[in-house]
Amino acid sequence: MINRFGVLLASEDPTITHHWLLPETAEIVYGGLASVIVIGALVKFAGPMIKKSFNARTEKIQKELDDAAGAKVTADSDAKNIRAALGDIAGERARMLAEADTQAAAVLNEGRVRITAEVAELEAKAEADLNSARGRSSDELRAEISLLASIATPAVVQATLNDQTKNELIESFISSVGAGR
Amino acid sequence: MSTVKIEAYASALFEIAQADGTLALVEDELFRVARAFESNEQLRNTLSDSTIPADRRQQVAEQLLGAKASNTTTQLVSLVVGSGQVRDLPAIVDSLVKRASSEKQQEVAEVRSAVALSDDQKTRLAAALTKVTGKPVNLKVVIDPSVLGGLVAVVGDEVIDDTVRTRLDQLKTRI
Repeated sequence: MINRFGVLLASEDPTITHHWLLPETAEIVYGGLASVIVIGALVKFAGPMIKKSFNARTEKIQKELDDAAGAKVTADSDAKNIRAALGDIAGERARMLAEADTQAAAVLNEGRVRITAEVAELEAKAEADLNSARGRSSDELRAEISLLASIATPAVVQATLNDQTKNELIESFISSVGAGR
Repeated sequence: MSTVKIEAYASALFEIAQADGTLALVEDELFRVARAFESNEQLRNTLSDSTIPADRRQQVAEQLLGAKASNTTTQLVSLVVGSGQVRDLPAIVDSLVKRASSEKQQEVAEVRSAVALSDDQKTRLAAALTKVTGKPVNLKVVIDPSVLGGLVAVVGDEVIDDTVRTRLDQLKTRI
């Protein structure tokens, strides 16, 4: 067989191919053997590593899937808590708003009452001050008139009382006393 | 001075004037002197000033009254001034006038006027006051310019006031 193989090799011109597409037979043989060897080596040596790598990857992916599921559960729980908290917040907000409204109404009402009382007090005080000032002015004016009158009247009367008038006053006195007053 | 002492002085002056036969005149003059003494502070102070010798004060009184009053009146006032009792002259004279009026069954009527009254007015006024009081009155007229006009008569406790001064005071009160 070795001979036949040698003959085969010797009988052909290495520079001329026997087919325009297919390789030479020897190349197929050698190539096939080499491929088998390489593939076998790969299966023997790299296969376990690849398998291990795939297993590790599978485990990692599974773990990530598990983690994602856990995260989803946690997220759902958080979402539920948040929704519950939102509900509480809305209720608290409503309660606080209602309380604030009540307090505001109470403060407003108290303020109205206080301001009304203060305004009434101020009006009463202003009225009293006005009356006092009016009375004071009136009294001062009356006193001034009285003073001026008390000063001026005797002088005016004395100036207008001549002897005839004085005599008439005496006669009037005598007459009225004589008539028994 | 006590009332007894005033009465004693009044009685003495009364006896002197009566003995002199000028009681009516002296009484009237003394009354006017007393009212002038009351209204003139300077005269009061001068005649009652104990730092001035008594004879000097008597001289002043005699000079003031010499031409305006009878000799008896002047001497009586001088007597009171010399005795140092001149501050009580109005009270002494009032007591004297009252006693003289009592002797005549009269009530003293002190009348103040801004101007002098005529004799006719005095007579009619005395008659009118007699009618009002029911007693004869011994009219004593005091010239008092402060009444301004009209008359005010004081008879015992009764006061009849129709002076311009009083009306002005009432007007002032009303104002």
